[in-house]
Amino acid sequence: MHPALSILVFTVTSGFGYGLMTLLIVSQLLGGSPFDNPNAYLTALLLAFVLMSIGLLSSTFHLANPKNAWRAFSRFRTSWLSREGVLALLYYPIALAYVTALWLNDWQTTAAAYALGGLCVVLGFVLTHCTAMIYASLKTFPQWHTRLVPFGFSLFFVYSGVLAYALAVVADGGSPHAAVWISGCVLAFIGLLFKLSYFSFVGEPSKTTINTATTFTEATVRLFDTGHSAENFLQKEFVYVVGPKTKALARKITLALAFVLPLVLSALQLSRDSSSLSLAVFAVLCGYFGLLLERWLFFIEAKHVVRRFYGEQH
Amino acid sequence: MKLGLLIDLDTCVGCHGCATACKQWNTSGTIGPLSDSNPYGKDPDGAWLNRIRTYEVGDAPGSKTVHFPMSCLHCENADCVTVCPTGASYKREEDGIVLVDQDKCMGCNLCAWACPYGARELDRDQGVMKKCTLCVDRIYDQNLPEEERQPACVLTCPTSSRLFGDFDDPQSEVSIKARERGGRDLMPELGYEPTNKYLPPREKATVEMFEVDSSGDGFSLKGWVNKMIAR
Amino acid sequence: MTESARIASDLPAFENHSEQEVKFTTCYMCACRCGIKVTVENGQVRFIQGNRNHPVNKGVLCGKGNAGIMKQNSPAKLSRPLLRKPGSERGSGEFVEISWDKALDMLSERLAHIRATEPRKLAFFTGRDQMQALTGLWASQFGTYNWAAHGGFCSVNMAAAGLYTTGHSFWEFGEPDWDNTKYFMMWGVAEDHASNPIKIGLEKIKRRGAKFVAVNPVRTGYQAIADEWVAIKPGTDGLFALAMVHVLLKHRLIDEEFLVRYTNAPQLIIQAPGGAEHGLILRTEEGEPAVWDQGSENYASACDPNVSPALVGEYQTPDGRTVKTAMTLILEKYSDLQYSPENAAGICGIAAEDIERFALEMAQVAFKETIRIDTEWTDWAGRTHDHFIGRPVSMHAMRGISAHSNGFQTCRALHLLQALLGTIDCPGGHLAKPPYPKHIPPHIKPARTCAPNTPLESPPLGFPTCPEDLLIDDNGNPLRIDKAYSWDAPMASHGMMHMVIRNAVHADPYSIDTLMLFMANMAWNSSMNTAETMSMLREKDDSGEYKIPFIVSCDAFHSETVNFSDLVLPDTTYLERYDTISMLDRPISEPHAACDAIRHPILNPDRDVRSWQEVLIELAGRLELPLFIDDTGRRRYKDYKDFIVNYEKSPGIGFLAGWRGENGDQHLVGAPNPNQWEAYIQNESFFEFKLGDNQRFLRHANLDYLQFAKEAGWVGSTDQIVIELYSETLQTFRLAGEGVYDGPTPNTDAQAERLVTYFDPLPFFYKPLEQQQQDESQYPFYAINQRPMHMYHSWDSQNAWLRQITSQNYMYINRQQAIELGIDDLGWAWVESHNGRIRVQVKYMEAVEKNTVWTWNAIGKLAGAWGLSKDANESQQGFLMNHLISESLPQQKSITNSDPITGQAAWYDLKVNIRPAPAEEQGSWPEFDEVNALPQQQSSPESISYATHNNVNLSRSNRDILTRGGSR
Ligand SMILES: Nc1nc2c(c(=O)[nH]1)N[C@H]1C(S)=C(S)[C@@H](COP(=O)(O)OP(=O)(O)OC[C@H]3O[C@@H](n4cnc5c(=O)[nH]c(N)nc54)[C@H](O)[C@@H]3O)O[C@H]1N2
Ligand SMILES: Nc1nc2c(c(=O)[nH]1)N[C@H]1C(S)=C(S)[C@@H](COP(=O)(O)OP(=O)(O)OC[C@H]3O[C@@H](n4cnc5c(=O)[nH]c(N)nc54)[C@H](O)[C@@H]3O)O[C@H]1N2
Ligand code: SF4
Ligand code: SF4
Ligand code: SF4
Ligand code: SF4
Ligand code: SF4
Ligand SMILES: [Mo]
Repeated sequence: MHPALSILVFTVTSGFGYGLMTLLIVSQLLGGSPFDNPNAYLTALLLAFVLMSIGLLSSTFHLANPKNAWRAFSRFRTSWLSREGVLALLYYPIALAYVTALWLNDWQTTAAAYALGGLCVVLGFVLTHCTAMIYASLKTFPQWHTRLVPFGFSLFFVYSGVLAYALAVVADGGSPHAAVWISGCVLAFIGLLFKLSYFSFVGEPSKTTINTATTFTEATVRLFDTGHSAENFLQKEFVYVVGPKTKALARKITLALAFVLPLVLSALQLSRDSSSLSLAVFAVLCGYFGLLLERWLFFIEAKHVVRRFYGEQH
Repeated sequence: MKLGLLIDLDTCVGCHGCATACKQWNTSGTIGPLSDSNPYGKDPDGAWLNRIRTYEVGDAPGSKTVHFPMSCLHCENADCVTVCPTGASYKREEDGIVLVDQDKCMGCNLCAWACPYGARELDRDQGVMKKCTLCVDRIYDQNLPEEERQPACVLTCPTSSRLFGDFDDPQSEVSIKARERGGRDLMPELGYEPTNKYLPPREKATVEMFEVDSSGDGFSLKGWVNKMIAR
Repeated sequence: MTESARIASDLPAFENHSEQEVKFTTCYMCACRCGIKVTVENGQVRFIQGNRNHPVNKGVLCGKGNAGIMKQNSPAKLSRPLLRKPGSERGSGEFVEISWDKALDMLSERLAHIRATEPRKLAFFTGRDQMQALTGLWASQFGTYNWAAHGGFCSVNMAAAGLYTTGHSFWEFGEPDWDNTKYFMMWGVAEDHASNPIKIGLEKIKRRGAKFVAVNPVRTGYQAIADEWVAIKPGTDGLFALAMVHVLLKHRLIDEEFLVRYTNAPQLIIQAPGGAEHGLILRTEEGEPAVWDQGSENYASACDPNVSPALVGEYQTPDGRTVKTAMTLILEKYSDLQYSPENAAGICGIAAEDIERFALEMAQVAFKETIRIDTEWTDWAGRTHDHFIGRPVSMHAMRGISAHSNGFQTCRALHLLQALLGTIDCPGGHLAKPPYPKHIPPHIKPARTCAPNTPLESPPLGFPTCPEDLLIDDNGNPLRIDKAYSWDAPMASHGMMHMVIRNAVHADPYSIDTLMLFMANMAWNSSMNTAETMSMLREKDDSGEYKIPFIVSCDAFHSETVNFSDLVLPDTTYLERYDTISMLDRPISEPHAACDAIRHPILNPDRDVRSWQEVLIELAGRLELPLFIDDTGRRRYKDYKDFIVNYEKSPGIGFLAGWRGENGDQHLVGAPNPNQWEAYIQNESFFEFKLGDNQRFLRHANLDYLQFAKEAGWVGSTDQIVIELYSETLQTFRLAGEGVYDGPTPNTDAQAERLVTYFDPLPFFYKPLEQQQQDESQYPFYAINQRPMHMYHSWDSQNAWLRQITSQNYMYINRQQAIELGIDDLGWAWVESHNGRIRVQVKYMEAVEKNTVWTWNAIGKLAGAWGLSKDANESQQGFLMNHLISESLPQQKSITNSDPITGQAAWYDLKVNIRPAPAEEQGSWPEFDEVNALPQQQSSPESISYATHNNVNLSRSNRDILTRGGSR
């Protein structure tokens, strides 16, 4: 699958945004703001909004006809993308209402804040699920058409939120609760295991083969002619070939950047008296670029079944 | 109605007639134009609704060459439709034709992602998704002579390898042929339930050999008896 | 109201039919010439579809025909006459635009001078045109015999073998009886001229369950749908066919009645080895061929219907000569073990059992599955019969057979096979198409003399039957510039266009003044040895004058040849001109109907172009060619339309056969009809005259047909057309080779040896000439081409749609073989022949004979030509096989690489070796100077969004969007 940069950036950045937002809300709801002053909290919330919005905006970059983008809200009934759009849109007013509720009540967690915050958290998960389902619902990508995908998206949603949240707290001069670092470590570890198992899943042959594609199931089928000399839309979109060495390297870097390093860094933070800003920044950068690479791999390792018609055996 | 095409892999010679007929009809048709980029330069490419690929089945010397025309199969479970966020993609209730409303599409490609058969191509110039319309603008055009109310690709196919009809009607030619000759689905495991069916190449025709005895003495001039045959 | 009509009533009007105009004309995206129905809207083509009523295509169109819009829109279209810029070098592509007046003045002045001095200094050759009747007439009126169309390099072997054997032919003069055949064997055909009819036919026979066997080293296209694919080694088909003959004879599975009645098999051949009479047919005192009548037990005329000739036998004539029937010679010859399946197997690469099986299968169908058509008909002798017997085995063969230097004899071998099975022009067999069959061979002799200001006494091309008919001077040297009808190629009945440039540049046999090319891309894909040809076109003599002083080309597009011309006359496109597809030419008839057709302008040209038809009539008027002026010396024909209406070849017979007579009520023969064009246009631009049921079969011996054909001017007499399995004509040339002929004999031993070796009166197999003259172990691979179904020679790379399908060709190689040789799939490789080398990209495939490599023909282009950008794939990755092919034999440089009998170019005799190119060597090679843009050439657009009107979108309601559930 051709990895459209805008989509990669969208999913990862907005993932950080929603994640951060979610953690900010959860921390508030659980034990009050970890920040010294409301402004810092507000700043963090704003940052989350910005990240979400960058992602959302960048998602329109790959549209060939953006003037109809508004129509994307209309097929909520069947389309996960539409659902994602609608929920993303819905998220803003609710999140704003949550902030307003806090603000009106002098940053005290009122029932309204609980309700709205809770809704936001749930919405964040649902939204992430919708995003994941855009991919996971596609039977055309055996590598995506798995429950691992929504699981992974949710996992990374929380994980990136934790990393970003920790950074926000540290940047404000504070030290997050040990639970944050611990969950960072745990999530990174789960992420590592998850990714390893996904990599092995991806390697499994799909039951859609050049034989089922062409109906000739009793002999080797080889492509002789594509019917067009230059690459067409389908090949440009779905056939993106990366050498096995590059892929293996990318996998290693992904694991290291996205999970191992943040895990080590979080563990380091835990062992320190006070959290280090540079380590936190570093962890987020690792996490962000690691997850970006993860998303890149997620695309390039996904093989659309139309490739069978272009000669791929299985 | 469940309109679709029946494609005969037994007779298709891969002439690309259906592909270019489709291109010319539809470039001025209801979803037209179908743009071409770099038409006179390096790596020319454009939006086509029907393409012919060729496969070799089996190893030499016993291999079989098969020409494989593909356009939208107008699936019953058309995920290309369900994934479409704008609703531009839809399957018509009355006849099952899957269409893209050109005025509503935002060019997100998601439907192409969801189509296993490569039946959808983004028109980069127009910014919208193109796909086979089953020539909806021909088959219902009451101003065309009745025998021409057929898809352009069907009308043109020199080997009659493409038949158009209603698969809901068990008595239609397409239903009967699909039944009799074991019309097949492509990638049935994906569950799209394509309407278009593919007829497999037939068992090869066989002819008996003239029975002869092994001696065969026809060369012997001496043994030759001329028949009385009048000029 | 039907369900469809109800649904339709909810739909918008997609097309505004009242703004559209529908016109019928004839496709010319290729030489098949299908009927088309063109919808025009806003001055542009909305849609081109097949004409359902048309006899050729019955409503269907091929890949090319459907892409006519993009031909019409090609940026490579020429727009004004061009003159090579004074002082610039030929081939540098620098031109100035000139007016038509100036162009025609200049040309007619030059031509008038040539005509008044030495007319043969004009060489006028035409390529993939279909108007040879007009160009040939023009040339003979001009008075030059240096005229021919492309047949000599195309498929003369097929036409000539047919016309010298059966009176019709594979090629365009016949076709399988698709409706009745039960066994069809296709030899060496990728696409052919009868493009759609073959496809329609193949579908018919498959639908019926008839068996289809394809003989071809490559399995693509038609072969893909064959029941059996026979992966023959190129150039060995003759042996395969004769091995089947061997099997049939061995088991005496032959149609004796057919042979006795319709062929010369029972005719008596004089046996006097070394003598001047040896191998000639014994004749009666009246000069008629003799047979041995079993009734009277005596010699008798073969023309006497009341004899019962012995098919096999040896006799002594009263004057002591030994004679044998031709059939006896056939039995003797093919009983030889060299024709045994076992021997053929090793050479052809087909298992002996399979060879035997194919022969016996055909025998089974011919003799056990005979069909009968109950119709009363009259045979040549006036006897009536109440049915036709059909032996439903049919064949079709084309350039896989003809493009070899043994192609003529191979094709004759196929005809022999057909005749033994009795499948010629019978139900289910191979049918002739009117005006064929003709007497064998057609009674036209090539014109022999050229004199100033004098028309030729006969057409430039014809059918020699003896050395006296050759075009050689008293010293035996060739008279024609292409050396057709010389000792090198005595029966070159289509000329030898592939030799013209070489011979003219080498002044061998002499130099010329002007080379006029119409619709031929001789600087590129239609020449052998292209790189060399391009340099020959640039070659100058000591005085600095080009060796070919003046090159005129008429083309519609910016081809490579335009680039090498001195004067370029821009033609119209097929949608812009009046044209005839005449029965005097290469007709579009069907077996059961005589047909012709026209083109008329569907669009008005938006450029300053003129059709070549008009230009020829104009030039003929200016040059005062006798036929084109009246008694007072004034122009007889206003224009082409006028010419077509009023010109009569013989009384009542003109270019168009339909709607003749003053009132347009006569067909085939009749006085000129001033409204003939209108009649054609009204009748969808074609004319179809159906034959009666009694005239549809065995036409070579069918009086009902022959009488009719004579009236129509198709044949000169109603005499039976006797199929010539044994060719006395060939034997006559052989006698000349042996030096015993009383008449012209060759000068050199080499020439004599060619005659003796190859002019066998019975078909035989020999290894292609080029292969005989080189060390084959050095060049282990056969290298051949195929026509892509969706591309026509060089024309279609300019077509924005078609070139998307193929803008690059590969050298295809057998996967297993390539792996053994260490050649990578999609790797670049050097391919080398005795004549040169090229670098190509290799692609694996399964279904190609293991020792054969092949590519699609004419995809490679010269960078910058055809309106393509200089980095277009055609010139950077595409390639031509032609660079490897030589126009002369490896060891006899002055002798053409052609069939020694007909002069047919031997494109497919090529042998090559292949080795991987070093990794850093990529892209096709050789590379040439880029072609410059023409003055005011419009630049090619970067994208196209063609449509003749704004689309009427079928919109989905917002309500439906919001409320509908799943996909249905
Ligand atoms: N689409 C399209 N149609 C065309 C043309 C075109 O350019 N494009 N050109 C037109 C012209 S000018 C012509 S002459 C005709 C030619 O029509 P075809 O005869 O179809 O021409 P080729 O492509 O030369 O086909 C030769 C076939 O013979 C096979 N072959 C080669 N050598 C041998 C051999 O020794 N034995 C056997 N049995 N097979 C062999 C090749 O693999 C190939 O399939 O087509 C006409 N029609
Ligand atoms: N290697 C190899 N070479 C081959 C062959 C092969 O099999 N292998 N096949 C050979 C055979 S059989 C043939 S017939 C030749 C064909 O060779 P050509 O007869 O040279 O055929 P084309 O390439 O079609 O070129 C004809 C020219 O006609 C021009 N043209 C097209 N339409 C029009 C028009 O309407 N008016 C005018 N005036 N010009 C027009 C085109 O622009 C082109 O320049 O190629 C031969 N060359
Ligand atoms: S073939 Fe593809 S585009 Fe057509 S209905 Fe099926 S899934 Fe949709
Ligand atoms: S490209 Fe257009 S039709 Fe396809 S899913 Fe997107 S909006 Fe729908
Ligand atoms: S039905 Fe119409 S749109 Fe579909 S492939 Fe055929 S010609 Fe193209
Ligand atoms: S037009 Fe018919 S024969 Fe030609 S490629 Fe299409 S389906 Fe096959
Ligand atoms: S075969 Fe194709 S290109 Fe040739 S005349 Fe017919 S439709 Fe036109
Ligand atoms: Mo040809």
